[in-house]
Amino acid sequence: MEREAFLGRVRQSLGDAPAADLPASFPATPASGTDATAERFLAELGKAGASGSVVARYELADAVADAARALTSGAGDGDTLTAVVAPDTDEFAAEIEIGLRVAGVDVDRPDAPGWREASSRAALGVTSAELGVASTGSVLIVPGAASPRVASLLPTAHLVVMPAGRLVAGLEDAMPTVAGTADVSSAPVLVTGPSRTSDIEMITVLGVHGPKALHVLLVGEW
Amino acid sequence: MTPEASPSTRFKDRAASQLVNRRLPIVIGNATDLRERRRREAFAPLDGDGLRDAAEAVRAHTLANLDTYLERFADRAQARGTKVFFAADGAEALDYVRGVVRQAGARVVAKGKSMASEEIGLGHALEADGLEVVETDLGEYIVQIAGEAPSHITAPAVHHDRAEIAELFSRTHGVELPPDPEALTAFARGVLRETFLTADVGISGVNFAIAETGSFVMVTNEGNGRMVTSLPRVHIALMGMERIVPTHRELGLLLPMLVASAGGRPVTTYFSFVNGPRRDDEPDGPDEVHIVVLDNGRSGILAGEFRSILHCIRCGACQNVCPVYRQVGGHGYGSVYAGPIGAVLTPLLSGMDRAGDLAHASSLCGACVEVCPVKIPLVEHLIGLRRLAAKHAGAGERASFFGWARAWGSARRYRFVGWAGRLGQRLVTRRGRIRRAPFPFSRWTADRDLPPLARRGFRARWKAGANGSERPDGT
Repeated sequence: MEREAFLGRVRQSLGDAPAADLPASFPATPASGTDATAERFLAELGKAGASGSVVARYELADAVADAARALTSGAGDGDTLTAVVAPDTDEFAAEIEIGLRVAGVDVDRPDAPGWREASSRAALGVTSAELGVASTGSVLIVPGAASPRVASLLPTAHLVVMPAGRLVAGLEDAMPTVAGTADVSSAPVLVTGPSRTSDIEMITVLGVHGPKALHVLLVGEW
Repeated sequence: MTPEASPSTRFKDRAASQLVNRRLPIVIGNATDLRERRRREAFAPLDGDGLRDAAEAVRAHTLANLDTYLERFADRAQARGTKVFFAADGAEALDYVRGVVRQAGARVVAKGKSMASEEIGLGHALEADGLEVVETDLGEYIVQIAGEAPSHITAPAVHHDRAEIAELFSRTHGVELPPDPEALTAFARGVLRETFLTADVGISGVNFAIAETGSFVMVTNEGNGRMVTSLPRVHIALMGMERIVPTHRELGLLLPMLVASAGGRPVTTYFSFVNGPRRDDEPDGPDEVHIVVLDNGRSGILAGEFRSILHCIRCGACQNVCPVYRQVGGHGYGSVYAGPIGAVLTPLLSGMDRAGDLAHASSLCGACVEVCPVKIPLVEHLIGLRRLAAKHAGAGERASFFGWARAWGSARRYRFVGWAGRLGQRLVTRRGRIRRAPFPFSRWTADRDLPPLARRGFRARWKAGANGSERPDGT
């Protein structure tokens, strides 16, 4: 149907009854929060089936190594483990590189056309996040030139390395940033814990389609 | 599955066939109890009434300005490269999607959960065109290979236990799988991962479209929404035209209201936003994004007394508390939308003559109204539909209600009916209950027992004084 005809039909159905305004503010929702602390964020992350920690910059390489070992522990002994590392983590490139190698994980930084294939095979995808929501343990992943969608989607596990200062208290506090991502990314996503399902007898199973495990490193000062 | 209520069967018959399965009310009951308990816990520490008022106000405002917001959404989505198609009905939507799929030269279509696509029967239409259509939500995948329809909005395969699912997977794929949820999920992960990577077209639903930015968002736990919208070269999204919010600010309210009402958690694993196709500097994402905005009877609903049914954000809370739904399950309704929301929406979308009897699939207890996060007056709407249905009622039913109205219309006639009833019931009362009565009352007693009328009615006892010597049940 032509757009004008479609909208005309809607307009006609609505008549000209006056419409109520939007409420100026909303009460606190189940996803609201009052404190943007790392403690709250990590606690909620745990409830969502993920894990995380706050690390000083000098501890980062060790923390990456520990996280990489834990996240890839499910893989078989003989497997060659690789991690795809998205360029949006470049401010921490040296520590991530060292950490992964210490954990025995090969680092793969493919060219643009190779991302999909590399991510399909990878045990681990490493990306940054634009912000974290303390009340829910969510992270906002913003794919784009420096962060392929597949890096946080296809690998068996997902490691987020992000600056600690990017936490907001509640979901509603994240919304202005989320709205802003519309101009810079075709597919931003708020991720809360690993992929999950409870479609078989309501038993929760992690990792049905997306990553089976998620770890978030909040990186503080030196 | 059937895109709308099947014309040949009545709710009564479908419900009766569901009630034969004694396990169904138990598993549906467990699934719905758990979700309702978690919903209550999530809202207990909060101003639940204030939240519901606010959510209702947002939905009412948006619908009252729907033309403006739809226009804004379309303009801004197009500016980001999304192709927006307005479909007056299911046929137009199907034509458009088929055209896009044909143009893409597609062979495999990966489908995420979309109520709108179920509503127009999209999966079957594409299969008829010779395409391989794969449902990728695990529960939807299970019911697809079982050749069934979903039985619950957020737990589509809840009517199957692990042994049945293991049997189903093993038979379909020629393997031997143990009845273990972990193993079965891992197997499905492998099969469906292959589908995501080979599919030419991904089809998804839309939970909310955002007018201000021309974006839309999908709410999933499994991540299949992100898969179908990221991996295939072409992405087609379908949305009912009411599924819109003005800005991201309202999402901050409606997303947690949707998720917490559905099962108590404040958020799902993925809130996946789509802001158009892959941009020039992006390494991946679809080259084409299409969104189909579906009217299919909604503008008619918008004009009348049932407008607020379009407030619905598809959380399923009304199903979880509905005593009728818990007995007959989603299949009993024979339509895409089940439970109280389905009992109202289905007759409005597919016509009173085809699905008007669903308005009677309710005890009018009102539990659904109490839990609805956007305060839809479902009971009022059910009664309104029954009023409409009465116009289609048979002569016999009309005559009996006319007779009833006449009989109770004056004190004298009321007393006479009471006297006649007390006399008549002596013939059919056994052990204090009326179990089988002659026609036309047999239509009632076929499924239910009836307590007999008290030997002396209220009026007689009132006259005799408050301390009437008889027990109230007349024995």
